[in-house]
Amino acid sequence: MYSVELRGATKRYPGGGTEPVVALDDVNFAVEPGEFVAVVGPSGSGKSTLLNVLGLLDDPTEGWRLLNGTDVTELSVAERTTARKGSIGFVFQDFHLLPALTAVENVALPTAFDSGDASDRAVDLLRRFGLGDRLDHEPSELSGGQKQRVAIARSLINDPAVLLADEPTGNLDTDTGESILAEFGRVKEEGVAVIAVTHDPLVEEYADRVVELTDGVLVGGDVDEATSVDDTLGGRDSESPLAPGEQ
Amino acid sequence: MAGRNLRRNRVRTVLAVLGVCIGVLAVAALGIFGNVLALGANDAIGDIGTQVVVSPNSDTGVESLSTTDVAEIRRAVDDPAVGDPAVVPLYSDNGIVAGASSQTFATIYGVEEPALAFEAAEGELPDRHRQGAIIGAGVATDLNIGTGDTVEIVGSQVRVVAVLAETQTFSPVAPDDAVFLPESAFATDGYAQALIISESGETAQAAADAIRREVNAREDRVDLFELAAIVDEINGFFDLLSTFLLGLGAISLVVAGVSILNVMLMSTVERRQEIGVMRAVGVTRRDVLRVLLAEAGLIGAAGAAAGTVLTVILVAALVAATPAVDASLVIDPTNAYYLLLALGFGVGVGIISGAYPAWKAANERPVEALRS
Repeated sequence: MYSVELRGATKRYPGGGTEPVVALDDVNFAVEPGEFVAVVGPSGSGKSTLLNVLGLLDDPTEGWRLLNGTDVTELSVAERTTARKGSIGFVFQDFHLLPALTAVENVALPTAFDSGDASDRAVDLLRRFGLGDRLDHEPSELSGGQKQRVAIARSLINDPAVLLADEPTGNLDTDTGESILAEFGRVKEEGVAVIAVTHDPLVEEYADRVVELTDGVLVGGDVDEATSVDDTLGGRDSESPLAPGEQ
Repeated sequence: MAGRNLRRNRVRTVLAVLGVCIGVLAVAALGIFGNVLALGANDAIGDIGTQVVVSPNSDTGVESLSTTDVAEIRRAVDDPAVGDPAVVPLYSDNGIVAGASSQTFATIYGVEEPALAFEAAEGELPDRHRQGAIIGAGVATDLNIGTGDTVEIVGSQVRVVAVLAETQTFSPVAPDDAVFLPESAFATDGYAQALIISESGETAQAAADAIRREVNAREDRVDLFELAAIVDEINGFFDLLSTFLLGLGAISLVVAGVSILNVMLMSTVERRQEIGVMRAVGVTRRDVLRVLLAEAGLIGAAGAAAGTVLTVILVAALVAATPAVDASLVIDPTNAYYLLLALGFGVGVGIISGAYPAWKAANERPVEALRS
């Protein structure tokens, strides 16, 4: 079972003219637990859209989306929020920490409105990422690398199945970037599927697999191009050129 | 979290709080002003509203009220439905009242139970008035006399047993410029007037109606002087005035509400990404809504609390500065009602004005919010 999987996913946006913009074109993509996948491609190739669709922030126009083997293609807004909270962690290029909250509070943010206090777990996570002495600092008092570590700790507070990172090293210098990628390496050891959208060649070095997205077309999306659609969706006829082993 | 978000943009928060504060101040202060005005007026005209003066109707040849008339009046009002008012018949005459150094012309009443109708400022009013004189506040001042002094009333020396408290009533029986003697001092056998003292304006009116019905059944033997109906009209006017003043205050509160709306809208636009992140990491729309509403509510509550405190200070300062206003009117419990009303309005305006921006922010798609 894959942690996250897209089958024939297409995403079209209404364009300015008559032709809609195709951001994702019949994408097949699957990531196993504990796998670190880097998604590369030029700007405007649909990388962010792919991440949004994987992260349940956006729905595909066509195709299927599975999370831990469960079909999550069409969920209500509330169900998507719950699913995000339960299974998905986000790491952003701009860190996106809340400036009013301390490091611990930022890490605990996803669970801030639940009964029960997640502070202990947040403190554990921050210690794990070497921020034991920055627990009560606000984001403005942290360096870029520290902020990104806080962001990674936040993405892990809910024990996610999938960690989605959008240019995680984009705002960091090379050394800091490398240490962040090393953290991703540790995260995936715990069985979390890590998917990073990036321009950074460094990320490709750390990734188990690199897939390329060009104009919405994904190359190398399946774990094993031979294991295909039939295993998960029971013989759905895929015309995707990305699954040639099927024929 | 809401509090900390507000602290991030202090100037804007303070301005919004100030807006609510002024709104609440306007509502509370104008409400209290109106109320004090109404209470003051009520205080001044209240007595005549509860008094009915019964006098003989000279048009039908009745020159005085006989004991039978008085008994009939007593019977007419002896009914729990009209509040069982006190009936105080009065003999009446005029004469010179002289003190040690000066003299004045005064109305002289003969009364048996003065305690039912009047209040003493000095000395004590006897249940049964048998000896001595009770003098009105005006006469006491004119003659410069007090309890224990002796006055000469129409030639006889009488000791003063009590001085009445000053009254501000407008009534045919004006105790300020009168002297009250025991009934035994009068040789006539007819009463000039009878005072009906009720608890409230309504019972006074009921008493007057009862007397008209019973005593004037066959012929119009008595005239009635009552102001309860006029007092009702006056009270109605003051209610209208209070509502008008509150309305003026409410306008400023609406303006304050718009300022909160503006602050919250700016704040949610500014924090679009943050809210997007919260939504992305799994915070529900309801919780986002709650945080933002709490912020607006806090602004409202802080402004309302400040406005309430300011109102208390303002009203206290005004009372201290204007001796004409009786302090007891201002600490009247009904004024607290206006304070609470304004406080509640302040918080309510905060939440209502915060509702739209909060709803808008909570329902924005996180993808859109994160992209900006």
